[in-house]
Amino acid sequence: MAGEEVVLKIRRFDPSLDERPRVEAFAVPLKEGMTVLDALIYVKSRLDHGLAVRFSCRMASCGSCGMKIDGRARLACETQISSLPRGAVAVEPMDNFPIVRDLVVDLERFFARHAAAMPGLVRERDPEEQESPTGEYLMAPGELESFVQFTYCIKCGLCSSSCPTASTDALFPGPQALSQAYRFLADPRDEGEERRLERVDAEHGVWRCHFAGTCSAVCPKGVDPALGIQLLKRHVMSARSPFGRKKRRGAPVFPNPNGDLLGQP
Amino acid sequence: MAGWFDPRRTNIERWAYTFQRVTGLAVLAYVVAHIGDTSFFVGGPFGEGPSRASWAAGLSVTESLLGHLVLVMVVLVVVYHGINGVRLILSEYGVIFDKPSRPDYPYRAKSLRAVQRHLIWVAIVGAILAALYSGGLLLG
Amino acid sequence: MRESTLMQMQYVTAVLAVLLVGVHLLMQGVLVPYGEAVSFQRVLSVYRDAVDGALLEILLVVVLAHGFNGLRTILIEWRQTPSWTRGVNWAVLVAALATMAYGTRTVILAATGQVS
Repeated sequence: MAGEEVVLKIRRFDPSLDERPRVEAFAVPLKEGMTVLDALIYVKSRLDHGLAVRFSCRMASCGSCGMKIDGRARLACETQISSLPRGAVAVEPMDNFPIVRDLVVDLERFFARHAAAMPGLVRERDPEEQESPTGEYLMAPGELESFVQFTYCIKCGLCSSSCPTASTDALFPGPQALSQAYRFLADPRDEGEERRLERVDAEHGVWRCHFAGTCSAVCPKGVDPALGIQLLKRHVMSARSPFGRKKRRGAPVFPNPNGDLLGQP
Repeated sequence: MAGWFDPRRTNIERWAYTFQRVTGLAVLAYVVAHIGDTSFFVGGPFGEGPSRASWAAGLSVTESLLGHLVLVMVVLVVVYHGINGVRLILSEYGVIFDKPSRPDYPYRAKSLRAVQRHLIWVAIVGAILAALYSGGLLLG
Repeated sequence: MRESTLMQMQYVTAVLAVLLVGVHLLMQGVLVPYGEAVSFQRVLSVYRDAVDGALLEILLVVVLAHGFNGLRTILIEWRQTPSWTRGVNWAVLVAALATMAYGTRTVILAATGQVS
């Protein structure tokens, strides 16, 4: 290991200066347990301060360092260089997003689509409960289990950057937003079913997914967006059918006997 | 459009998706052509009823080595498209997946290890067997 | 029309197509030898049989509905300007109906026309 080097072939692009992207190679001394993010930080601190790369937690929790490594969307911080094939490592920004500079992409529209999926409980009968809670919503452990995996999403964008539909369909919400739409449709506390269905059962909605499954293959948190989207399709079909099973909706509030939610009388 | 045809370093479902598009377009093109060639049974676009002469003329074109090779390819793509299509319907109705559950490291996606993945191989093997059978019939 | 209604149609035509195409392939080579299956007499008797002729017509409509809706799906995922989407929806509908009409003409003429 000592004395060995790894070559990073980084795609550089500054839309305000460059006509087209170019690839620059950097040799980085290899260390045991080195991740691609470690190598990029070495490049930025020692070899080229101008390299634009976004990162924060370095432990696959924040979802900032999504990029394409050796042709596949991954988090740089949890990709060990030793896990990649030998030879130079190709590092590129994620597909399907506008490039801000180098490896940093513009996630604004991605977050807007997440917001459009209404990622919060919609309550009709007690809207004031959300602002000033008097207790907790009653929910069985099995009901929680039916959607909890989709709450693990860290919004890194890897899924939407790998989706074949998202590569051409500018109006497609993408795997992230669709799996979040399912997460709330499956939630027994939610009462926004009609509005949610109108949004996903549209020309450029859930039916533009054809289960290529790459979103789930690249997801770093086991959210399995493809599973959420297929279950969303079933939910839409069931809701649109006169014979479909209807889910329990609008779980009641269980008043906290101790006063407010912090348990203070 | 490159994203539709770029299944590098990902999962087999991505290949299945690409094949499903390509085979679907191929089958549609064949069906339209087939509606054209079968119309020679009634004398072509301007015919008025079943015509032996017109049908014989039509067969002289389709009953050739090239015509038979096309038919074998059609069998290959039709059988693949059909079996993989059944897999997709079952998947999209969510009936061949395990229930969602709390994910654990190393976070392997359940939807990509379910029965549906085996069905892709059934589609591929089934299509090849059907093509071999029809090839033996038409070319042998 | 709701997108889920179109998708439901896509599923139903898919299942029917699997069954009908399966029967069609079996009749054109497996259960009936291929050479006989394309002979004039055999084809005529298929078109003149009420059940077989009707199955061919259903096969025609089902496969074209499924195929052209699939083509529409691919095209609207390719580009998204309103004029493109509207143009694709109409063009695909017209193409599907025209092909169905032409195929149906063959079925009707084959079943009822004067043999020559």
